[in-house]
Amino acid sequence: MTKTLERPELREDSATASQLDTPWVTLVWNDPVNLMSYVSYVFRSYFGFSKEEADRRMLQVHNDGRAVVATGSREQMEVHVEAMHDFGLWATLQQVDA
Amino acid sequence: MIPFERDESRVIRASLTSPESSLIGSLADQIAGMLGELIEVPQFEDPDAAALYASVGIGGSSTLHSDPAIARLLPNAYADAEAAGDFRRLTERSLATRKVENARIVIQSLEAAEQAGGELALDDAQAQAWLRALADIRLTIAARLGIEADGDEGGDDDASLALRDVYDWLAWVTDSLIEAIEDPGRIDAAGQAGQTSATGEAGTTSEPGTTGTTGTTED
Repeated sequence: MTKTLERPELREDSATASQLDTPWVTLVWNDPVNLMSYVSYVFRSYFGFSKEEADRRMLQVHNDGRAVVATGSREQMEVHVEAMHDFGLWATLQQVDA
Repeated sequence: MIPFERDESRVIRASLTSPESSLIGSLADQIAGMLGELIEVPQFEDPDAAALYASVGIGGSSTLHSDPAIARLLPNAYADAEAAGDFRRLTERSLATRKVENARIVIQSLEAAEQAGGELALDDAQAQAWLRALADIRLTIAARLGIEADGDEGGDDDASLALRDVYDWLAWVTDSLIEAIEDPGRIDAAGQAGQTSATGEAGTTSEPGTTGTTGTTED
């Protein structure tokens, strides 16, 4: 419960604003193994999404095959991707419009 | 197994039978063994060199592993092969090391539970290691069963069906652990423990702090 409710919204705006060149995104991809409850928990606890936002993105992963969960510098996105791999989620980063 | 629950002192507890404990311990040990091979440090004459090698954390391979389970646990971070290889060389060893460490924490806590008559007690850091290790175990089982897309069931031979049972049971264990982790613990008055909002799925939730004093008089 430590980090769950501290940051109710995505850091997209601030991260994007501070980035002069084309931003990068962290994508989480659907897999048949991880539970929906687990993916939502990871989004809440790691990214600080509200329950509604975490569920929305989790369902986006489930239904669309992938979802953007963070936007920012390449270095920041690499940190996020590694954290997702720690949780066993399948994540990649790429440049926007790449 | 009695599912995970957070107690008054914020310890996360569960009760495991000996076969359950052995099963999870053995699976965690397999993860540690499988990934441990990837992170073995080469022999150095100079101990300082060995320490330096370990601390730098590099030395991973540059391509996705041919074993589908390992490939799933240590996936590519980029679609582009060259970028994926560069990133993997820098991060694979540390990622694998953390996964091995999580598996070892599971094994150690199960050993402690054995000494305590099957009563497993986890602090928050151990619970996080458990959560990640359970995910890694389920991903590995799924790779062995050939579960690759939503709806895949794995084989229908006896061995696959038995493994599938374990896989499903571990999903239940995971759900139980998430609920316990998100339970803020009992607060004196019932009702203040508010934000848990268990995922609304089937019945294993334990209500925090029910006082039993409110309401229902029977006349």
